[in-house]
Amino acid sequence: MTQNLSINVHHLTRVEGHGNIVVDVKNGKIEKMQWQVPEAPRFFEAMVRGRHYTEVARVTSRICGICSIGHTLASVKATENALGIRISPQTFKLRTLIKHAENFDSHVLHIYFLVAPDLFNVPSVFPLVPTHTEVVVRALRMKRLGHEWGSLLGGRTTHPNRVIPGGFAEYPTEAELRNLKQRLINLQPDIDATVQTVLSVADKLPSFERPTEYMALSSDKEYSLYDGVIQTVMPDGKKQRWPVADYKSCTNEYVVPQSTAKYTKNKMGSYMAGALARFNNNYDQLHPEAKELAGALKFKPLCFNPYMNSVAQLVEVVHSVKDSIRLIDELLAAGYKPEELAQPTKYGQGQGAVEVPRGILFHDYGYDKDFMCTGGNCIIPTNQNHANIQLDLEALVPKLLAANKDEKAIELGLEMLVRAYDPCISCSTHYLKVEFKR
Amino acid sequence: MRYLIGIGNYSQADDGIGLRIVEHIAHNGLDRGFEAIDLADEGISLLFYLNDETEKILLVDAVDLGLPPGEYRLFRPEDVQSTKDMRRLTTHESDILEVLKFAKSLGYRLPPITILGIQPGDLSPGMELSTTLQERFSTYLRVALEEVGKDG
Repeated sequence: MTQNLSINVHHLTRVEGHGNIVVDVKNGKIEKMQWQVPEAPRFFEAMVRGRHYTEVARVTSRICGICSIGHTLASVKATENALGIRISPQTFKLRTLIKHAENFDSHVLHIYFLVAPDLFNVPSVFPLVPTHTEVVVRALRMKRLGHEWGSLLGGRTTHPNRVIPGGFAEYPTEAELRNLKQRLINLQPDIDATVQTVLSVADKLPSFERPTEYMALSSDKEYSLYDGVIQTVMPDGKKQRWPVADYKSCTNEYVVPQSTAKYTKNKMGSYMAGALARFNNNYDQLHPEAKELAGALKFKPLCFNPYMNSVAQLVEVVHSVKDSIRLIDELLAAGYKPEELAQPTKYGQGQGAVEVPRGILFHDYGYDKDFMCTGGNCIIPTNQNHANIQLDLEALVPKLLAANKDEKAIELGLEMLVRAYDPCISCSTHYLKVEFKR
Repeated sequence: MRYLIGIGNYSQADDGIGLRIVEHIAHNGLDRGFEAIDLADEGISLLFYLNDETEKILLVDAVDLGLPPGEYRLFRPEDVQSTKDMRRLTTHESDILEVLKFAKSLGYRLPPITILGIQPGDLSPGMELSTTLQERFSTYLRVALEEVGKDG
């Protein structure tokens, strides 16, 4: 067994934002094992106060550049709930379609650009350009589709401005929807090739298991991404549901000294959110072709291996493509046309939840009689996963030590574990720093 | 097609300057003869605008040029080298110069690209630009519109 170890991964690469992994082992005893999150608070909840309901989503969409569609959707849902705004079936379907776009786009990015380098034993996607050109070109082709799919529905590439309380400000044309459907159909060879790529490296995913509680939106109607109630599945398979309005009693936010981000828990010491949590909760409602892929990978619920979150994302990529083709067909068959915005019928408190790529996302706002926001709350999925990551690391390190892994292998195993969660810790600054060439 | 593309983080004060320029242009219908694109943190998506039909691209971004806050420079990517400590091809904190290098390695034909780099004064969390950048906003807007409208 490895007796002494000192790992200090400051600013873990290939995750969104800043997180550190710190491990100290002396004479075979683990003295420190921490997943540290030194993110700065950003006070979005305060920024929405005093704003008219039509402005709130514009502010909250800026919480994240990756999940801005999800934040917009959770925001407009919470606002509509608070103000008694009832959206049409067409709006529901269009929003589900843009939700699929976001999950597809983010999952493709995570699988190909953030996880694949570990499986191909390279430090980043750069070295894959000469050795696996077709994989990189395919990844970019798929990423481009995700980008344009979101833009078509959302109106602006990253921060959607068409999705507003009561419906949509503008609509894609019928021809654009038909074109999107054809592009999704044409994607099949790339999906098949992606599955083959993942199958070729699937044995590189570590076989670590730690049963935990899994939380996701769930619905009797569909594989929940845009709508549903809160559901968790326990390690023994028992499921329980709560209305979204009860989100605080399911998330139970608390603070820990090692992190500036809040942690959460429900029935157990922690729970997991994200693609694997959705897969474990809602497998039955996946599209048959997504289930077929899971079968080919011998992947079935309940799966307790957090590294399989990336595989669950791949299953969801297939589901999102297939379900979107169905949605477009249904939209067009139902006489697709621009609609009037639904209007407020009351005021008060309201909650909204959607499944963003990294898991269940809650927004909660209060409005006064003039429809001005009196306060907001937002619980993001990455924060909901911090406690589960910490407990995973605490369970994983002793196993890696017992297996006599060297420091480098242990460090890689821990980094891969955190990356599997696809954490989006906080948006970092992004500026360039340059000097002019002489 | 010509593109004016804003990159940055809206919630990190002056890092959002490029996005605010795009937002202002879109909101006021000033995007005539070009498309105004908000790429936020998704620097990698710049690749999707490097097409044969792309006539030119103006990127607007906060850039540490070693100048006083609020100063700006128009330059070509080939005129500079990145000195940022952490150059990584992820989505957040990506370096647009790295994205262009990645594009070249994949054989993309790069259209003429100009960067309007604005020296940030404040990069702390916050949804407002610093006073310095706010006061010069109309200058940046004018320079951006002139540059994207210029032939060649």
